[in-house]
Amino acid sequence: MSSLVSARNVSKSFGDVHAVDHVSFEIEQGRIMGLLGPNGAGKTTLLKAVLGLTDFEGELSVLGLDPFKQRKELMQNICFIADVAVLPRWIRVYQLLDFVEAMHPNFTRSNAEELLAKTKIMSGSKVRELSKGMVTQLHLSIITAIDAKFLILDEPTLGLDIIFRKEFYDNLLNDYFDGERTILITTHQVEEIENLLTDIMFINDGKILLDESMESLSEQYVELMTSGDDADKARGFGPIAERDVFGKKVMLFDSVDRQNLDGLGEIHKPSVADLFVAKVKGAGS
Amino acid sequence: MISHQLALIKREIWEHRSIYVTPAAIAMLVALLTLTGQVSISAFGEAVDMAIVGATNVDEAHRRVALTGLLGVVMSIFAFGAGIVMIFYTLDTLYAERKDKSILFWRSLPVTDAETVISKLLTAAFVIPLAFLAAVIVTHIVILSLASIWIMTKGGNAIHLIWSAAPLFDTWAAGIILAFAIPLWLAPFFGWFLFVSAYTKRSPVLIAFLPIFILPMLERMLIGSHLFYDAIFVRTFKPPLASVEISMLFDDDRPFEMTSDAVSMLAALDLSRFVASPSLWAGLVVCGLLTTAAIYMRRYRDDS
Repeated sequence: MSSLVSARNVSKSFGDVHAVDHVSFEIEQGRIMGLLGPNGAGKTTLLKAVLGLTDFEGELSVLGLDPFKQRKELMQNICFIADVAVLPRWIRVYQLLDFVEAMHPNFTRSNAEELLAKTKIMSGSKVRELSKGMVTQLHLSIITAIDAKFLILDEPTLGLDIIFRKEFYDNLLNDYFDGERTILITTHQVEEIENLLTDIMFINDGKILLDESMESLSEQYVELMTSGDDADKARGFGPIAERDVFGKKVMLFDSVDRQNLDGLGEIHKPSVADLFVAKVKGAGS
Repeated sequence: MISHQLALIKREIWEHRSIYVTPAAIAMLVALLTLTGQVSISAFGEAVDMAIVGATNVDEAHRRVALTGLLGVVMSIFAFGAGIVMIFYTLDTLYAERKDKSILFWRSLPVTDAETVISKLLTAAFVIPLAFLAAVIVTHIVILSLASIWIMTKGGNAIHLIWSAAPLFDTWAAGIILAFAIPLWLAPFFGWFLFVSAYTKRSPVLIAFLPIFILPMLERMLIGSHLFYDAIFVRTFKPPLASVEISMLFDDDRPFEMTSDAVSMLAALDLSRFVASPSLWAGLVVCGLLTTAAIYMRRYRDDS
């Protein structure tokens, strides 16, 4: 597989604050990469660097282009939905379609109109008259109608109710993702997208804590629910995190032979959320 | 690309409705005042009516002077309105997109920051003046039509008294030249306002105008010179466009001798003198530098 994004020692500082600190990673074509991190971890800054919206130190190649120097060329093949409702509030839906059609060589207006016809969004409505969910639907309809290789989503469902969130991801998979396109997504509601992801990356304090495919994640990490003496024995294998659940101990192990844990309790595949908390806390301690 | 620029300029017109609403509102106001003015003149009765109809006794040169004055005054009302719209447009355009975070959407499209900022400069320097010029032409026709109707109801010959004497095409040709020349002359201000709009985190109006007034004062107090004052205030109000001193025409000490040339707005303009003025080109260079700075700010500023 070819790398769509290749980052080597990418850094970005704001004064003394290292928002992104010597980060290196690769994203291959056709993957759905989840980027997770607590608030202020550097997610948005990293996305902005990938999008060419901010300058940076280090080497970063996106679709073979330097994102900051070749942003215009890059944007012909990248789409982006930010964490805030960034569609201009004064614009009407048809004006938005007119404008994107005029500016984007890979936009097919009829595709966007087909998708919008399935919603309650009227072509003469102003963005400010739409609910937040409808604005996101509108944005996704436009993005889906752009034949772009790479989609970047920064908290795309923030502030939406569960129905819109589910619909958003369903539409994303059904209408946008075709196995050839690549998606990079950040969200706090990780449990909702866990099953969509092919790869995952954790970031905290500007540094990458984890960068794995979802398949290797389930091989590398294991969760054990145990109690009593078995818990003491399990601790001998060096869990990276431990927590109490209903009087039992739940331990998370990294690269431990499962045979060692057999018989010490119930073995599970850890959720991404638990792994994330363990990694972030571990990095902080 | 031209098609990109046209789409970007169209977007500016969608967003900033004042570009066409303000000239339309001024046009309606002037038309309304003309209408009410005619009505109120009628209310004075026969004496005034006779005086107006008696304009047949005044020769065409004098009627032409009066009508040139009327058309010129109407044009200057629009010019004032255009200036206000230009100032607020240039100060708002790069500031508002950061404030409502729509800049993230605009920058997610394959458009460079340079293309975007240049479209805003073109909107300020060409689109706004042209919108106001169109409104001037419509307003001229409307007010002369209203005056004609009133004169005809009093038994006067509107064709003779108004239309044959009104230097419409002369005035409009002058208006076209002024609509292009004055924005070019004031271009450094557009550059400055766009830069402030891209730079400031708050109060663009205050941030833009404070230095304009404070720098000349500081220069005078600290160094005793008046370079900034000359560059900002003296230069602004003296574009080298007039071929004759218009003010002399209305000088009380001089006999009021009018020729058709003397009341022609077009004849009063000297475009070659304007184009040859080093001050014009220096201003355009300043505008270019400040616009480049605005592009740089939009590209590197990251507070979205």
